[in-house]
Amino acid sequence: MAYDFPSEAWTQSYQAAINANPEYKKAAKSWTHGPIAFVVQKVPESGLEHDEAFILDLHQGECRSAWNTRDIEAAKRQPFCITAGYAQWKAVINKELDPIRGIMLGKLKLKGKLTVVVRYVKAAQLLVETAADVDTRFFDEKI
Amino acid sequence: MKTQPIDDFNIHHVPRVIAGQNAISELSSLVLEMNLNRVVLVTDRFLQEKTDLPDRVKKALGNRCTGIYAGVETDASAPSVDRGAGYAQEENAQLLVSLGGGSTIDTAKGMAVVMSLGGTILDHEGYHNIEQSLIPHIAIPTTTGTGSEMTMVTVIKDPQRGQKTFIGSRHVLPDIAILDPTLVIDLPLGLTAATAMDAMSHAVESLFSTLCQPFSDAYALEAIRLISAYLPKCLHEPGNLEYRGKLLIAASLAGSAFSNAMVSLNHAMAHVIGAVHGIHHGTANAMLLPHTIRYFSEAADLALIKAANAMNIWTRTPPQENAGEKVAQWLEKFIQDIGLTKRLSDFGVKEEDLSNLADLALTDGAIVYSPKPDIEPEDIIQIYRQAL
Repeated sequence: MAYDFPSEAWTQSYQAAINANPEYKKAAKSWTHGPIAFVVQKVPESGLEHDEAFILDLHQGECRSAWNTRDIEAAKRQPFCITAGYAQWKAVINKELDPIRGIMLGKLKLKGKLTVVVRYVKAAQLLVETAADVDTRFFDEKI
Repeated sequence: MKTQPIDDFNIHHVPRVIAGQNAISELSSLVLEMNLNRVVLVTDRFLQEKTDLPDRVKKALGNRCTGIYAGVETDASAPSVDRGAGYAQEENAQLLVSLGGGSTIDTAKGMAVVMSLGGTILDHEGYHNIEQSLIPHIAIPTTTGTGSEMTMVTVIKDPQRGQKTFIGSRHVLPDIAILDPTLVIDLPLGLTAATAMDAMSHAVESLFSTLCQPFSDAYALEAIRLISAYLPKCLHEPGNLEYRGKLLIAASLAGSAFSNAMVSLNHAMAHVIGAVHGIHHGTANAMLLPHTIRYFSEAADLALIKAANAMNIWTRTPPQENAGEKVAQWLEKFIQDIGLTKRLSDFGVKEEDLSNLADLALTDGAIVYSPKPDIEPEDIIQIYRQAL
């Protein structure tokens, strides 16, 4: 079953996929730096009316909880918040854009300690690869 | 031979660079042109107490210089940045002019962030997360290595957490960089050599970084050419303003290169031995660079052929094979000739330290941009061992 991105159902499916990935668990076993928020910027002309965030409470290789919110200020108060347009997130999920490269090029905007994020480059890549495992339906691809 | 990645990049650089003998004399007209009347000069205590450089800048600014913040601390500590911002706000500063090395310029960048966005500097940790212009900043380097006057990052030390952190954004770039060789004429020879090798490392590493791109390559190659040609001359004739000026320009070009393409394993390893054994950053980079190049000789062969051309290594037959080894050998002789003859063991590093150093290097962010994706601890130990 395909889940709309970004939606609560997609985020829950993503959480389950993360927790089912032993490689991610291994790569992120020392991650104790708190949740990461991902803000998807609105694209009103294409039907995404509001900025939407999904937050992953990541800890030592496990995603303890995950949820969606439209309270972007709350998302930005998380230890890490990565903001990007819909097209950029789609490229990340489709493995067309490496997330660290995206941050360095300014395609993804990072609030939080870059020095911490780049120490977990393998975990970041596995996190992204896991997103690609979620059966995703992008709203601009809806028939 | 590896192929170049598909072009996919952004380029950010300082919009205006003014270079030349006594270029600081243009400050007055620059400030007039910017229509700004209240300027705070940011510098460090050493320059203020031991040199006439701040006075020269103050004189060039005339009565627009309303205050001096000389509270810059080594590695731009967060409290010193916040204090500086508070001071400049009290002075109603409309423009910051930084005069000094990397810590001073980074402090002024941080002050501009706090003055423009509020809060404390650590509230703004992040990358490309600043979306508005900041208070204007003119950067004037007095060293020839860090290239901070050209970078879009400020590196801030958080003494409470004992860590360094980054705030990076195109808005952090200074508005103007002034490269005046008269300000670096008294830089001691040892420091001239070591800081130039820091710049050389910025340039070479940016060439083989996974974020390399045509603009940063162009900056890096010219930086390599200038350092190769003028560092030995400068050390032989340190009072020569032309040679000093070339090194100043080289450091800035290398700064622009790595601001856009980043550095990689060599800097990661140098950061670690700097922190653990107190080895000067430029010296550390110089000791390791030939060995890092050998390690990447296959993964970065195309970049190293370009570097070899810029170093003017082959004048008759440009071999397309073993470029890495040839560059490494050339650099070893170059480093020897400029007097950086020490090895890691001279600083007390022992074989039994290498494993711990390697583990630390693997957690340094710079390693991410290395041309070889999977670097093992044993690989790093081997590089350190070659420099022991």
